[in-house]
Amino acid sequence: MNAQLESPPETAVLEIAPETVKLAIKDLNFFYGAKQSLFDVTVSFAANAVTALIGPSGCGKSTLLRTLNRMYSLYPGQKATGQVLLDGEDILNPRVNVAALRARIGMVFQKPTPFPMSIYDNVAYGVRLYESLSRQDMANRVEESLRRAALWDEVKDKLRESGLSLSGGQQQRLCVARGIAVKPEVLLLDEPASALDPISTARLEETISDLKSEYTVVIVTHNMGQAARLSDHTGFMYLGQLVEFGETEQLFTSPVTSRARDYITGRFG
Amino acid sequence: MTAIADIDVAAAPRSARGATLDRAFEILCFSAATFLLTALGGIVISLVIGGWPAIAKFGPAFLISAEWDPVQEVYGAAGAVTGTLITAALALAFAVPLSFAIAIFLVELCPPILRRPIGTAVELLAGIPSIVYGMWGLFVFAPWFAQHIQVPIMMSAKPGSLLATLTSGIPNGSGIFTASVILAIMVLPFIAATMRELLNTIPPTVRESAYGLGSTTFEVIRKVSLPYVRTGAIGAVMLGLGRALGETMAVTFVIGNSHGFPTSLFAPGSTIASTIANEFTEATGALHVSSLILLGLVLFIITFAVLAMARLLIGRQANL
Amino acid sequence: MSMANAAPRLSRRLGEIAFLAFCWIATGIALVALTAILWALVKQGGGGFFKPNGGGIDLNIFTKSTPAPGNEGGLLNAILGSLMMCTLAMLGAVSVGVLAGTWLSEFARESRYGKVVRFLNDVLLSAPSILVGLFVYEILVAPLKGFSGLAGAVALGLIAAPVITRTTEDVLRLQPVALREASVALGAPVWRTIFAVIWKAAQSGMLTGALLAFARISGETAPLLFTALNNQFLSLDLTKPTANLPVVIANFALTAYDDWRRLAWAAALLITATVLVVTMVARTILRGSARS
Repeated sequence: MNAQLESPPETAVLEIAPETVKLAIKDLNFFYGAKQSLFDVTVSFAANAVTALIGPSGCGKSTLLRTLNRMYSLYPGQKATGQVLLDGEDILNPRVNVAALRARIGMVFQKPTPFPMSIYDNVAYGVRLYESLSRQDMANRVEESLRRAALWDEVKDKLRESGLSLSGGQQQRLCVARGIAVKPEVLLLDEPASALDPISTARLEETISDLKSEYTVVIVTHNMGQAARLSDHTGFMYLGQLVEFGETEQLFTSPVTSRARDYITGRFG
Repeated sequence: MTAIADIDVAAAPRSARGATLDRAFEILCFSAATFLLTALGGIVISLVIGGWPAIAKFGPAFLISAEWDPVQEVYGAAGAVTGTLITAALALAFAVPLSFAIAIFLVELCPPILRRPIGTAVELLAGIPSIVYGMWGLFVFAPWFAQHIQVPIMMSAKPGSLLATLTSGIPNGSGIFTASVILAIMVLPFIAATMRELLNTIPPTVRESAYGLGSTTFEVIRKVSLPYVRTGAIGAVMLGLGRALGETMAVTFVIGNSHGFPTSLFAPGSTIASTIANEFTEATGALHVSSLILLGLVLFIITFAVLAMARLLIGRQANL
Repeated sequence: MSMANAAPRLSRRLGEIAFLAFCWIATGIALVALTAILWALVKQGGGGFFKPNGGGIDLNIFTKSTPAPGNEGGLLNAILGSLMMCTLAMLGAVSVGVLAGTWLSEFARESRYGKVVRFLNDVLLSAPSILVGLFVYEILVAPLKGFSGLAGAVALGLIAAPVITRTTEDVLRLQPVALREASVALGAPVWRTIFAVIWKAAQSGMLTGALLAFARISGETAPLLFTALNNQFLSLDLTKPTANLPVVIANFALTAYDDWRRLAWAAALLITATVLVVTMVARTILRGSARS
C-alpha cells in the first residue's frame, strides 16, 4: 500500500499467503465465441474463507465463477485460456474429468433449481452419483446436509414431498444442502439471494457464514452490503478485468483504485 | 497433473463411465433423429423406385392424360390430380372463412366460461378418425344433402345454364362437392387451432390501441389483427391444404370413385389418395401397381411443396 | 346531425353485426357437425352393443370374431389386432421419438443438421398417411411377399414417431437451462442429467405427446390397407395378415349386409370413443402440468 495519492493504480490485486491458497487463477482469458469477456485475470482464493466478487452487470463476475467448475464446457464456442489451479492442479487441462471435478466444486445458482423429485432425493441425487451408501448412512448424510443448510427443522416431516412444493427461500437452501451433500471442497454461489425476500436472504446468509469453517466459498453478488457482511476477501470486477482484490474491510473502507472507489461510493454501477 | 483425471477411478467408480456413456447417449439420440430423416428419404426413394416402370412407360404423358384403364393398361394421372386439387381447393374455400371466424370467436367474442368447452369441442372434431368421417359422410350427410340441397338446386337450375352444368349428375349425395364439404369439416379444426394460437400472439396493447381509436371488432380484426398474423395465417391455410390433399378414407367413401375428369360439382370423381386406397390391393398387374405408386409420388411432391411452404411461413410460433 | 354522417355509421354498424353473426354461426356449424357425428355414432353404433331384438347388452362384440355374413359375430379379432399393432407401434415410436426429440433439444441446438431434421420431421408429421402405407408396402410387404401385422405396426409407428419427436423437443426446450446446469454442477454426466432430471421434469408433457400420437394412430386406416390388410379370424401371429378395427370398418361399411354394417358402426363408435377419451385425458394432463 504505497502512498500514491497523486495517481492511484489502475489495478490492485492483493496476494494472499501461499499456504492458504485453495484456488489460484493465472492469466485467465475467457471467450464467448469471438467476444472476449475476461482479460488476464490473476488472483488467488483462500481456503476456509468466503471470497466475494462484486461489480456491475456484465462485468464478468459470473463468467469467472463458471470457469471455476468448467460449466462453460457444456457449450461449444466458449473457451478459457490460462490456468486455474485447484490445490495446484490445472482444471482447465482438457484431460481433466469434468464430472469428477464438479463433484469437488459445488455450485448454487441465481434462481432456485430444485429437481422434480422429493426433498430427500434432491439431496441424495448428487451423493448417489459418487458413493454407494447404506440406507442409514444416506439418511444421515441427507439430515446432516439439511441441518447445515438450516432447512432440517422445516422439512424433516415432509422429506418425501416434492422439492417444488417448498417456498423460494426454502428451495434455495435445499439447493445449498444438495450442493454440500456431496462434500465438495469449494462452493460457488452465483447471486444466490437475488430471487429471495429479505427474511429468506438473511437466513441464507447465516447458512453461508456457517459453511466457511469447512469450505472454500466464492460468492458472486451485486449486493455490496451482502459482500461486506459475508466475505473475508472481495474482488471488484469491471469490463472483464479484476480491478481490485483485497481484504473485504480494506476494500470497502479504503479502496486503492479509483474505479473501485467510484463503484463502492455509488458513482456508477 | 493427473490427480483430477484419476479421481474418478480412485474415489468415484460410478462416474468413470460418465464421459463414455455421455458420448454413447448422444450418438443414440443422433441415430434416432437420423432414422427419422432416413424414413422421409426412404419414402421418396421407394416411391421413385416403385413408380419407375410407369415413368419409363408413359413419361410426361402420365401427368397429362386422364385415361385410367386397367384393362388396356393405360394410366394417366390427370383425372385424379384434378380431383385432388378441386376437392382440396373447394374444401379450403369453405373451411378458411369458417375456421378464421371460429378462431376469432374463441379469442375475441367467446364468453370466458364457454371458451374451454367450445375450444375442446373444436379440438375433438380434429380427433375423429378419417374413416369415421367417411362413414358419417356416406350414410348420414350424403342422403341428407341429396334430399335437402342437391335436388332442390338441380330442380331450380334452368336447363342449359351454367348452374345446370355445374350441378348435373345423379342426385345421390356423393361426388366432388360432398367430398369437399367433408374435407372442410376435417381441416377446419386444424386451421382454427393454428389461427387461434397466432391471434393469441398479438400483444394486447396493439389491439387495445386500435379499440381505443373507436374501431369496431370487425375493423380491429380486418385492419390490425389479420395483417399482424398474415404470414402465419397463410401458413395455417397451407397446413390445412396439405391435410386436405392427402386425406384418404373420408374422401374414398363419399367421392363416388370414377376415373377421368369430373364433369360437374355433383359428379363422382376420384383423388390420388382415393384411387390408391381403392385399387392398390386389387391391382391387376405390375404396371397398375407401378402407376399407383407413381401417383403416390405425385401426391408426395404436391404435399411436400405445400407443407414445406406452410412450415416456413408459420415458423415455430404456432404449436402444430 | 347530417345524413352524410349517419350513413357510414349505419354501414359500419351493419358490417359489425354481420361479422359478429358470422363468427357465432361458424362456431355453431362446427358444434353442430360434432354433435351430428357423435349422435350418428351413438345411434348407429350403440346398437351393436345390444342384442338385435332388444334383449339387453350383447357381449359378442368383445367375445367373438368377425363373422361371415348372416352369422353371429363380434370384433374380438379386430380389437386384439388393433391393440397389438398400436402397442408395438407406440413402443417403437416412443423410443425413436423421445431420443430424436432429445437430440434436437439437447444436442442439435441451432446446428445446420439439426435444422434440417427439425424441418423434415415437421413435414413428416403432416405427410399423407397413405404414402407411409405405400412406403412400408415397398420395403416390407413386397420383399417378404406377404401382408403382416408387423408391417402395419411399422407403418403406424412411422406416423406416431414424428408427433412424439415434436412434442418431446417442445417440452424439453421449456425446461430452464439452470436445471441442467444444476445437475451437471453436482458432477452428474449429461446422460444422467437428462434421464433423472430433464425427462422427469418434462414427463407430463411427454406423456401428453405420446397419448396424442396414440389417438392419432388408433384411427388410422389408409396405412393399414396394404400392410396389415385384414384377417377374418382371430390370430395373434403378427407375421400374418392381422385384423384391425379401421380396416374392418372400411370392408364392412361398404357392404349390403346389415349385420356387417352394424359391426362397422359399432367399431367406429369404439374407435372414436377411445380417441376422444385419450385426447381429453391428454389435454387434462397438459393443463394440470401447466398450472403447477
